[in-house]
Amino acid sequence: MKFLGDWFVVLPAAVLLLAAGASVVMRNLIHAALCLTLSFIALGIVFIALGAEFVGLVQLLVYVGAVAMVIVFAILLTRPDRLEKSRTPFSGFGPAGGAAAGLVALVVLLGFIFSSPLAKKPLPAPASAPAAAIGEALMADHVVALIAIGVLLTAALIGAAVIAMEDKA
Amino acid sequence: MTLQILLAISAVLFAFGLAAVLSRSNAIMVLIGIELMLGAANLNFIAFWRFSENPSDLAGILFAIFSIAVAAAEAAVGLAIIILVHRRIKSVEVDDASSLKG
Repeated sequence: MKFLGDWFVVLPAAVLLLAAGASVVMRNLIHAALCLTLSFIALGIVFIALGAEFVGLVQLLVYVGAVAMVIVFAILLTRPDRLEKSRTPFSGFGPAGGAAAGLVALVVLLGFIFSSPLAKKPLPAPASAPAAAIGEALMADHVVALIAIGVLLTAALIGAAVIAMEDKA
Repeated sequence: MTLQILLAISAVLFAFGLAAVLSRSNAIMVLIGIELMLGAANLNFIAFWRFSENPSDLAGILFAIFSIAVAAAEAAVGLAIIILVHRRIKSVEVDDASSLKG
């Protein structure tokens, strides 16, 4: 981690967690989507700070540029027709149930993280993953996965377009 | 900056996503929670790659790239389904899609 040292990771990580927490509890859906976009941007900066610049830029391009936009479009296309009065934004277990489940998951995960020998690693020298090396790895060792993801994306997006098309009655 | 701190950050992000999926009633909020969980998993991949003894082995990077691509495809399909359901029942609350309920 060059540049500002640890702060280059810690500051965007703090923004990430704050924005994600805000997005989960927001009542207004558009505000939640915007907080989610901020958390995606912060996550991309964390990736860049950790040395995985290509993944960080892919994260910014795909998540911020595509997924967040699609989420905002879906929110705008599914506005309630009538004025929804006090429809509670929570369902099922309610906020306490969701928070309890998240807390249980967090405690279990932290228990594993802080007790596992796999996670007790020292910080190695700064790593770099040049895009040329990633491209070579994708086209040489992992070309099957690359083609499979291409087919998957094609099928998924054609399918999504067909699903959301207007019925020609 | 230790690996444990990075994994703990990812665990907190995952917990936020899980809380959103389980407690919010709007289907789009559920999808936002799913995207947060996927982001946490990607952070795990990149953290382990950063702390690996052999960073020229790009498996963590490639896994994260594929995970981002799959997440994009899944978000598109999920939101198309939400739009279609909204067209039928005029609501995006998960509790309202109950016609298969026993």
